[in-house]
Amino acid sequence: MIQKIVTKEELYKLLNYLLQDFEVIGPKELTNRGIFYETIKNPQDLYLGEGFTTEPVKKLFLNPSEWFFKCQYKDSKNSLEEIALTKTKRIIIGVRPCETKGLELLDKVYNSEYKDEFYVNNRNRTVIIGLSCAKPDRNCFCTSMGGSNVESQGTDAILFDRDGKFILEIITDKGKEILGSIGNEPSEEEKKHWQQDKEKRKDLVKTKIKAPEDLDKVFEDPYWEQVSKSCLSCGICTFLCPTCHCFDLVDEQRRRLRCYDGCAFVDFTLQASGENPRPTKKERYRQRVFHKFDYFKKNFGENLCVGCGRCIRYCPVKIDISEIVDKAPV
Amino acid sequence: MKNIYLPHLAEIVDIKQETPDIKTFKLKFKDQAVEDSFDHKPGQFVEFSIFGEGEAPFCISNSPTRKSGIECSVKRMGKITQALHELDTGDTVGIRGPYGNGFPIEDLKNKNLLFVAGGIGLAPLRSLINYCLDNRNNFKSVTIVNGARTSKDLVYKDEYQAWEKARDTKLYLTVDCQEENWTCMVGVVPKILEQLKPTCQDSVAIVCGPPIMIKYTMPVLLKIGFCPEAIITTLEMKMKCGLGKCGRCNIGNLYVCKDGPVFSYAQLKTLRYEL
Repeated sequence: MIQKIVTKEELYKLLNYLLQDFEVIGPKELTNRGIFYETIKNPQDLYLGEGFTTEPVKKLFLNPSEWFFKCQYKDSKNSLEEIALTKTKRIIIGVRPCETKGLELLDKVYNSEYKDEFYVNNRNRTVIIGLSCAKPDRNCFCTSMGGSNVESQGTDAILFDRDGKFILEIITDKGKEILGSIGNEPSEEEKKHWQQDKEKRKDLVKTKIKAPEDLDKVFEDPYWEQVSKSCLSCGICTFLCPTCHCFDLVDEQRRRLRCYDGCAFVDFTLQASGENPRPTKKERYRQRVFHKFDYFKKNFGENLCVGCGRCIRYCPVKIDISEIVDKAPV
Repeated sequence: MKNIYLPHLAEIVDIKQETPDIKTFKLKFKDQAVEDSFDHKPGQFVEFSIFGEGEAPFCISNSPTRKSGIECSVKRMGKITQALHELDTGDTVGIRGPYGNGFPIEDLKNKNLLFVAGGIGLAPLRSLINYCLDNRNNFKSVTIVNGARTSKDLVYKDEYQAWEKARDTKLYLTVDCQEENWTCMVGVVPKILEQLKPTCQDSVAIVCGPPIMIKYTMPVLLKIGFCPEAIITTLEMKMKCGLGKCGRCNIGNLYVCKDGPVFSYAQLKTLRYEL
């Protein structure tokens, strides 16, 4: 790992240079809307302050809707035309550590057995410059999910804002390639200070929960009915989650489309015969919790949650997954 | 890297009307190399595309020992099956697969096999039945109990004679209610099993049918003496990708598309699957 001290001006200058070869994407504050990942034409538009993007970085890897192929009709015979993959190299800057941890979890689904070329292509063409969290909010619980608000967790480099400048840690060769020449090496004393600062920042995540080891035991508990009572089945928790990855396949305009889908919706599992294995909110919400904290752990060894707090922040009825998991009657 | 969601084009070469609402479609891949290399196990399924309408999973109902094209029997149920029923021979569809684990054939060898089917549930079993009959020496007795609501709803009627004539093979047909000119059994499948009491010695029961039939068949099989490990069933679930990614067909931590659709009753009990 390489450590550098970088001024804002130096960072902007480098990004301006990189804009010749890369698409640069980063958080931008949109009036009356919030912070969103946007293509950045002018580095000064980047928003690298406190707060979190409404949508997770997931959407830049797993598009909310993606065409898989076109179907042509010629002389009443079909032929299929594949959609060319975008090859543009890109840099995504300002990504929080929890979000890149989310990508590492998505890798287990989309970049392992039966590789999804759309997702893998997006992963391969992207360099990620993270941004550490100096001000996690009360909905954040990343440290309880085995994550960190300061360490890299799958970024190519990571920025820490400090005293109006940035400390930059370059982690991977990909990161080195684009960032290698920027900034100045910190002195030993600065390095020591920085290490102390880093440790302090880790304590800023105040919400601590325990993720139960054996949720399995309480599958039948009436608890799931109680906690899901106020759920509106709107599905915002699944769409804004950095790790929720369920999708639907539909045909539209003679093209096959993949679009986000989620366990909160009643028709997610509704069969043509009328059978539905998850007919009420109880089964659907329990599925969400169990997928994240039991099934995924059984299959891949980790929780499918990074503690980013989005599903809590944006739930219209304030359902709090961290509290629900913490208080599960195991 | 390949696009795992891209189907192969196939032509419908034959359509057989099995019942008023079930048709069997026979397909041939347009690409001869795909046709030659396509191989499946009894119990596996394909993702079937009707372009412009969408995709749905159907089990392959022919045995891999009888290769003259993939066959899928489809009951007219929803949007995609309705669209499929309107297609003609010569029309083009898409096929991805085969997917799923298929039946555990090695575990069935040198066993008495009891096939229990209801309605279109015979489709995946037909693949296995014909596979077993084509490898007759590997298996002991074969007993088939096949039920339907009415005689009109029985599928694969023109194969019954061959099954009855096969060595050490018995076929019992049943309909839910008595009909004119019906000479076989009358009563729902679990009731018939209670009457027949097929042997549980060295036996495996392979069950497929509507959920209500499976639900009432399991306790009867247990009562006859089958242990949960010796009862095998194949499940239906809404599926999209067939690859364990789209997230809707799971039972516990297992995906019906990838880890199933064939499960033993013992497995389903540990997964807390409610039949």
